[in-house]
Amino acid sequence: MQRNTPTPGLPLDAEYRALTRRGVLLRLGLTTGAALLAPGMLAGPGRADTPRRGGALRIGADADPIGLDPTKLAAFSSFDFTALIYTGLLRWNAEMKIEPDLATGFEQPDDTTYIFTLRQGVKFHNGQVLTAHDVKFTFDRIINPDFGSPRRVQFIDLREVTVIDDHTVRFDLKQPSAPFLAYMATNPNGAIIPREPGDLDAAPVGTGPFVFESYQPNVEFTLTANRDYYEEGLPYLDRVVFRFYRDNATILSALRTKAIDMTWVRDPRVASPVTRAMPDIVSAPGQTSRTFPVWMNLKAPPFNDVRVRRALSLATNRTECVQTVLAGFGKVGAMIPESHVGGWDGTGEMPYYAHDPAAAKALLAEAGYPGGIDLGDYIVVAANPLDVACAQIMQQQWAAAGITVRINPMETAPLLAMWREGSFPTLLSVALAWNPDADAILSYLNSGGDFGRNLGMADAELDAMLNSARSELDPAARSDKHMAIQRHIAEQAYCLQIYQYPLRWELWWNSVQGYVPLSANIRSFVRTTWLTA
Amino acid sequence: MATARTPRSGSPILRLVAVRLVWTAAILLGVSVVAFVLMRALPGDFAIAAAGAQFVQAEVLEAIRREFGLDQPVWVQYLRWLGEALQGDLGRSFVTRRPVTSEIGPRFVVTAQLTLIAALMALAIGGTTGLLSARLRGQTDWVVRLVNGLSLAVPNFVVATLIVLMAGLYFPFLNLFNYTPFLADPLANIGSLLLPALCLALAVSVTVSENTRAAVLEVSSQDFVMVARAKGLRPRRVLGSYLLRNALTPVITVTGLQVASLLGGSILIETIFAIPGMGQYLFDSITSRDYPVIQAIVLLAAAVVVFVNLLVDIAYARADARVRYE
Repeated sequence: MQRNTPTPGLPLDAEYRALTRRGVLLRLGLTTGAALLAPGMLAGPGRADTPRRGGALRIGADADPIGLDPTKLAAFSSFDFTALIYTGLLRWNAEMKIEPDLATGFEQPDDTTYIFTLRQGVKFHNGQVLTAHDVKFTFDRIINPDFGSPRRVQFIDLREVTVIDDHTVRFDLKQPSAPFLAYMATNPNGAIIPREPGDLDAAPVGTGPFVFESYQPNVEFTLTANRDYYEEGLPYLDRVVFRFYRDNATILSALRTKAIDMTWVRDPRVASPVTRAMPDIVSAPGQTSRTFPVWMNLKAPPFNDVRVRRALSLATNRTECVQTVLAGFGKVGAMIPESHVGGWDGTGEMPYYAHDPAAAKALLAEAGYPGGIDLGDYIVVAANPLDVACAQIMQQQWAAAGITVRINPMETAPLLAMWREGSFPTLLSVALAWNPDADAILSYLNSGGDFGRNLGMADAELDAMLNSARSELDPAARSDKHMAIQRHIAEQAYCLQIYQYPLRWELWWNSVQGYVPLSANIRSFVRTTWLTA
Repeated sequence: MATARTPRSGSPILRLVAVRLVWTAAILLGVSVVAFVLMRALPGDFAIAAAGAQFVQAEVLEAIRREFGLDQPVWVQYLRWLGEALQGDLGRSFVTRRPVTSEIGPRFVVTAQLTLIAALMALAIGGTTGLLSARLRGQTDWVVRLVNGLSLAVPNFVVATLIVLMAGLYFPFLNLFNYTPFLADPLANIGSLLLPALCLALAVSVTVSENTRAAVLEVSSQDFVMVARAKGLRPRRVLGSYLLRNALTPVITVTGLQVASLLGGSILIETIFAIPGMGQYLFDSITSRDYPVIQAIVLLAAAVVVFVNLLVDIAYARADARVRYE
């Protein structure tokens, strides 16, 4: 039996850029390939300062949490809060490698068994001591189909959890599962709750560095430091206060006027002028962690014909979209963003990616549309200006190849309903939330799942490739499999991926020290954050 | 409602209120059905909105729907809601899981405060400019009407966004983004509401201004004003007791009607200025399909509009001696 330090090597070949001057992390160009994250943790000017204790960090948030029970909540907006309240057996470090957290390490006697040793003396916020029974309780709840946990799909390979003793717990999987450790390390997926949880939505109880204090919806969400936190000396802050602002302009004005110390925005075109105008604001775009896809209804004509799908791909000028919509702060995208195992870096060839309107016209003619084709409504998220802008640019690009669409910007909830049910007429775009593992992204195209079926997927070869990659524990081999899958998807044009970009762009005043942004867009490094006087 | 004077015993105002209350109940019941059914008829429910663009299985959505009773037929859901509402329980917010009544109370106060300040501003600005315009005519009239035209043409959310952007860039001392509750610091509270209220008041002040101007012009050409002047009353007395009092009726009507538009406008203004009022809450609730909250806010807004109309009717009686209620 070999004792591992859990570094299953999510190979993020990120290049780190040295600090060029105090406070300004990077003015980066994703286009130059500097894919950056976490540069602030590396040694640099100012790092020698001793952390100052006390103070309240004020974070501007654009969405309220919907539920605070990590085994129950579905909404991405809740993750900001659970990331500070709860911790799990594993976590991501600043380089996005997995490291032990509530566990001190684990053994892996075979491909389907993991035995975790827990830290001693960890207390929940209610004073209860953490034991292996709490870990078992948490995962029993998650894998219980009657409970309906959104986490269940992520731990679908988990057969059972067994308590060996108070500080040792065994996880038995049904089959080797590459995403297992990534999910364990991601908050809230692997977050541990006490075995007598009470109503965690109203009164969350975790083991994290901050304790829930109060919540006024739309106004403020307040946390105080956990004085019993298990990492010596942490956290430095006394309090963390989230303030809610819905409007993009308002959130930036609040940052400029120092009503908040830290926030993030979604639009690089909004973030970059702020950092240019105000050198004391530190800017860190995450890694390219999400893609912008165009989903097609594969069940019916014309998209059940691969020639039409390929024509649409050829008619799309992806580089122009990156330059215009993202002002260059992004890369051409395939199915998997660069920050994942086997994610594509946007360079080199992908089938049917070269912009070629003439070839697109020829393919359309071959498919029986010599005079061009009207694809009807192209549904996009009205609330996402990037999506709408990209749709408008593609509308023009496609027109040059004789393909016409009407852009239909729609409210988010009905759009999501159509997307899940596959009931949109022809074209629909919605960018995916961040996922800790590429498997979650690829699963959309698996014809064995609800989503793939609703979309009209029926490709046994692809399904086999997906299942094989999911069970591949060797990162290098898995990476190769993921590249092959992406090529296959591009070859068949099941889903048009346009570009990849950071999910969020973090901004903070340089009075905030010791903070590291993660491509996971989880602010777990608030635990090492401190404020200058 | 308004009829010629017929002296009768009892308090006519009380009778008016009683009749109106019955009507109000009927109106609110109707509004509650429409709001309930319409929201659920919209595609995309709470479970879908909560899950967002993530990979969750259908069973997760089903579990969420079961937890909140959304798997029941709409009429069952409605009857259950109505039964609880009649006992004063408006349910729990799906998002915050707290009782809707205790969530809405403080927000209603904030919106009422914002709307009240905006209404007072609109009356002050509109009344003054309308009166000046009508009395001074000439250049003043011309300038007022030009400014009114501009204020009406530029939507309030454009003004609000401009103020937010400029405040961030040029007036960081304004402290616009730290909403302070009234009880914590009354002055700071009112201070933080002034600019948002002004945005809200602009368009309404135009309506008030134009109506005041028209009413004053019309009344001042009437015989009784001429008689008042002819018998040598001081101009101030003519203005106060004769002119204004008679010109007031249409202005009251218009202001009352505008309360509804102030409530509607507060949705945008509160969202832009991050003021924790009902409008912002309604906006969020619709996006997240938080049905109990939407239902409660729509009902409350309907009740306010009905109530303000009642106040307007009562105000007629005070302003216009010819109006009596039986």
